[in-house]
Amino acid sequence: MIIDVNASLGHYPFRQLRYNTPEKLVGLMDRNGIDRAVVTSLHALFYRDAHRGNEELQEAVRAHGSRFIPIATINPKYVGWERDLAQAVEGWRTKAVALAPAYHGYTLGDEAGRAVLARISEYGLPVLLNQRFEDRRGRHAWDRAEDLTLTALLDAAKAHPKLKFLLVNWIGLDGAKLAAAGLRGRCLIDFARLQVVYRKDVSKLVHSLGVEALAFGSHLPFEYAGSSLVKLANLESWSAADREKLAWRNAAAFLGL
Amino acid sequence: MNSNRREFLAQTGLLALAALPTARSAGASAAVASSPPAGLPADWRTLRKHDAHNHVFSAVNRPNADWSEVDAMVEAAAVLGIEKVCCSHPITAGVLADIAAVRDANDSVLAAMKRYPDRILGYCFVQPGNGPQALDEIERCLDAGMIGVKLYNQFKYTDPVIYPIAEKCIQRQILFLGHSAYITDERTLALQPKTSNALDFCVLAQRYPELKLILGHVNGGGDWEWAIKGLRECTNVYLDTSGSLIDDGTIELCVRELGHRRILFATDQTMEGCVGKILSAEITTEQREDIFWRNLQRLMTRRSA
Repeated sequence: MIIDVNASLGHYPFRQLRYNTPEKLVGLMDRNGIDRAVVTSLHALFYRDAHRGNEELQEAVRAHGSRFIPIATINPKYVGWERDLAQAVEGWRTKAVALAPAYHGYTLGDEAGRAVLARISEYGLPVLLNQRFEDRRGRHAWDRAEDLTLTALLDAAKAHPKLKFLLVNWIGLDGAKLAAAGLRGRCLIDFARLQVVYRKDVSKLVHSLGVEALAFGSHLPFEYAGSSLVKLANLESWSAADREKLAWRNAAAFLGL
Repeated sequence: MNSNRREFLAQTGLLALAALPTARSAGASAAVASSPPAGLPADWRTLRKHDAHNHVFSAVNRPNADWSEVDAMVEAAAVLGIEKVCCSHPITAGVLADIAAVRDANDSVLAAMKRYPDRILGYCFVQPGNGPQALDEIERCLDAGMIGVKLYNQFKYTDPVIYPIAEKCIQRQILFLGHSAYITDERTLALQPKTSNALDFCVLAQRYPELKLILGHVNGGGDWEWAIKGLRECTNVYLDTSGSLIDDGTIELCVRELGHRRILFATDQTMEGCVGKILSAEITTEQREDIFWRNLQRLMTRRSA
């Protein structure tokens, strides 16, 4: 059983994605033994009104039952975002709320960021923060977004002490600093950009945050699934219970699936 | 076995695997231990692999050296079934170092080759700006068993200062691995303005068609689609698949645009990810084997025209 906490659907304006429809992504998941996937809408990053992307996502995954766990993306700079958030939480029962400050023109620490993080915290839901969708070194001329930083994450964690964080596509995470910011027990980190062998990122984070803090993530359809599958295979020396936690149980518990 | 190595093995649970003498036997043991995830071939660990682009960055040539990084790299290679790892120690960050610093960097690779003679092969890092001393350094490295030359971004590969290096590589029939990227991010570009892109490689390849020229790390951070398309007309340039990007479609585009015989598996320290992308690529078994190891072997044994 694998639950992938890091996947997307829709078009990305700067690169062709081969498996970006629900049907194609389900086929890819089947070939790679991935049972369920947390998905966000790429359209919600780029539409002026992100919520239209959320509506599309809800519609798109409906035919695929529980294979997808659709997560709404909220833009707190856009009029009516509180109502959008309420619809996502109360109407769609979203399991987390994604924010994309670099794409929507705010920071986690400014007025808009603080407001939306506070509201998500009040709902008792995790916030999903993707450090980056693509490497910036080969960016398209219209791609002006910057990576989220560890400093911004730590500041947000301290400012919102009850908020849970689902962190995908992150590198450079310092487990001791995350723990000092109170994130032990309230964060889930995917290993899409981390290493099991050689750099040992995963075991270092487990040491600081506990095995409950790590989850399987692939960044489909941007990246090949094989990378994360190899990492999962390289955990074979872990106990079966801990491997299951990383493969799916941590995600299920964290998101209340 | 030192304590760092033991600690690493204990943390990753690979003690039994690393105790085995070769990557292939390590892989075989691992494959028996449990079934791989559905998306991986059952024999993924034991598929033969030669990493054409990796590094030894630690100063392991010094007394009381810290070997932990090199040991971890070799242990990861064993776990992943990578038989050979071709390493260099470039001086980075835009520095044009004197020849003593260059020699010191190469000595660290030579030390790693000595510690792991069955696993690590060496590229000699040189800076063309060191003039005749750079050519002497190549000879010193080759005499010590290295298999090629690695250039970084101190000079564009279209610069005539490169020519003596290229001619030396042809004369000695060795590989020329070049750092590459097509960078569009202005801040990154400002840090490495002389990084060569695919078209720069083409210029050098056209001047020296017999040169065994490898464009380094197609997934190293620049626009890889640009790089692949840029190499289409330069049929004597090879490309390695390394880099921190695991972008879906890279390998298939390489095969479609360049033909699979020009593609060399490599990791540049992203070891699990770079194995995974070759395993996931939608290519034939023969193409996968060629990319994983056979193309590099052919290139190394090819005689210059």
